[in-house]
Amino acid sequence: MAFKELASGDSVWVRSILALIGTLTAMAVLVLALGANPFIVGKTIVLGSLGNKWVLAQTITVSGILILTALAASIPFSARLWNIGGEGQMTVGAIAAAVIGLLVPEQWPAWLAISMVMFLAMTSGAVWAVIPGWLKANFDASEIVTTLMLNFVAMALAAWVIFHVFPAGFVQRTKTILLTAKLPRPFEGWFVDIGIFFSVLAALIIWVVISKTRLGFSIRLIGANSRASKLAGIKTNSITIWTFLLAGAMAGLAGAIIVQGRDHALLQDFSANFGYIGIGVALVARLNPIAILGSAVVFAILRVGSNSLQAGAGLSPAVGEIIVATFVVLLMLTGVIRFQYPENPDAH
Amino acid sequence: MLTEAIFIAFFVIGIQLAVPLLLAALGELVQEKSGVLNIGIEGVMLIGAFTTAFVGIETGNPYLALLAGGFIGIACGIVLSFLYVYRGTDQIVTGLMFNIFAFGLTGTLHGLFLGGQVGPTLPATQIPVISDLRWLGPIIDQQNMMFYLGLMFMFFVYWAMQRTWWGLYARTAGERPLAAESGGLNVLRLRYPAVIVGSILSSLGGAALVLGTSGGFVPGMTAGRGFIALGVVVLARWKPMLVLIFAFAFGLTQGLQFLGGRLDTLSGIPPQFWTALPYVMTVVAVVFAPGSTYPAAVGIPYKRAGR
Repeated sequence: MAFKELASGDSVWVRSILALIGTLTAMAVLVLALGANPFIVGKTIVLGSLGNKWVLAQTITVSGILILTALAASIPFSARLWNIGGEGQMTVGAIAAAVIGLLVPEQWPAWLAISMVMFLAMTSGAVWAVIPGWLKANFDASEIVTTLMLNFVAMALAAWVIFHVFPAGFVQRTKTILLTAKLPRPFEGWFVDIGIFFSVLAALIIWVVISKTRLGFSIRLIGANSRASKLAGIKTNSITIWTFLLAGAMAGLAGAIIVQGRDHALLQDFSANFGYIGIGVALVARLNPIAILGSAVVFAILRVGSNSLQAGAGLSPAVGEIIVATFVVLLMLTGVIRFQYPENPDAH
Repeated sequence: MLTEAIFIAFFVIGIQLAVPLLLAALGELVQEKSGVLNIGIEGVMLIGAFTTAFVGIETGNPYLALLAGGFIGIACGIVLSFLYVYRGTDQIVTGLMFNIFAFGLTGTLHGLFLGGQVGPTLPATQIPVISDLRWLGPIIDQQNMMFYLGLMFMFFVYWAMQRTWWGLYARTAGERPLAAESGGLNVLRLRYPAVIVGSILSSLGGAALVLGTSGGFVPGMTAGRGFIALGVVVLARWKPMLVLIFAFAFGLTQGLQFLGGRLDTLSGIPPQFWTALPYVMTVVAVVFAPGSTYPAAVGIPYKRAGR
């Protein structure tokens, strides 16, 4: 694993709690400095994410999205490949879902339409992610730069589809997808669709892949020591491409769930930085797919609750981003999140 | 004559867009040469841009705004070098988180203090001899002092890295930190100033973005420029002169958006194509950067023996 267990001293839990206390203290100071009341901010975030069944449904939906964008980060990160392109891969998945959701034959039954749209969205996300993966494997092109650049390309592509291909009049969105392609909402009176079910399933599958399969073993070995794994006969290039393919499929599925379940169209501002926040979710979970399930819920509460800050405490929802970043940095400073490096860089 | 005016305007805009890239890329170059990969320059640029706009709007003085934009770079550099160098946190994750932090912080402060206000901008600086030149004259005439500051910093970075002992030591810290330490150098003490100077330059890049446009701040206004700067540095093979050339190439690519809207022959192409073009170019550049390899110790936190 890319993460090293602490050899001695306090346990990971103690250190995590220390980081959490540090984050809360830093936030309280910041909020006071901005002239707001920290307790009101805290209360607003909790009530704004769990307070009634309307916001609770949003929190569940966002948890599902963040699980997938976190997986899109955690799988490559496990091999020390930096996929920062979750945002773009999700956007491409959402574009595909919105377009295919309009084009599937109307007479198709719902199960077929839903799975076809979902499959093609995952494929599109995977293709978008394989571009930087392939460039990394063949040209050693820095995936940090390429994945991030492709996010902006994906945003431009989304704007083009929204304004030129399937515009829906004056609003900044495409036309509504076919009824048969929409994810069902099984609970009467609740705006929760079955998307969260796919997210949890994906996390479990990825957990099995990473911890029980040959591919997962190779990914972890490359993460622990890239040169040694090459010497051990692992085809690092093809593993790199597979890693990005899996990651892109996860992000693409996030896009599909947003379009098919929540928005029923491609919206100009459909993502609240979900791709980037997913990186934080994955790191806090120490790249463990099962731990991501819990970490995603915490970040979803933060994300959805922050939306009420403007009305509740006069602050911008962007406060959520500050909390995310501070927490991850403090987790690194307390040694909960640690990385291994080659012992002697001079020997290269 | 109309087309000539359009082309001059295109180059004016292209160079205006190139200056922030130039400053950010020079800042990144200094840091990478010393062994620190600062992915957080996007965030440093955002914080620099916000501070510049804030001080500009409060005081109405663009020079004070510029100064503030530089000083906040020192603050960013201190925070980042504490994390990257002193604590040796993972540079990629720290940089990413710094970007998210800067996005949140500037977004929050923007909502509280600035809203849609615009501030003062820097006036164009005319230099007598250059003004008389055909073609070049009207283009350079429209540039503000950030353009000249950028050129100055290019020579400064070249001189500091290649012509001073400090530059030689810092480059050793970026290539062979253990050897540097064995030779009696203090790797950490070489990396602190590199990160701080680099952050000042990146922050000034953010300031140039504000002072060359409306004088106001828009959340997320850097739009990946910090990452384009990372690509520029790779493409320029860590050479300041080449950084200048490639920063201008990318600035002009961003300026094509303006040209695309003005020329009839290009009117069939959707505007989103022009928006996406600089980012696609960066990907292509990173792939085909010939013989470009990072300084050997980039991205690896240096831990002194016994720690």
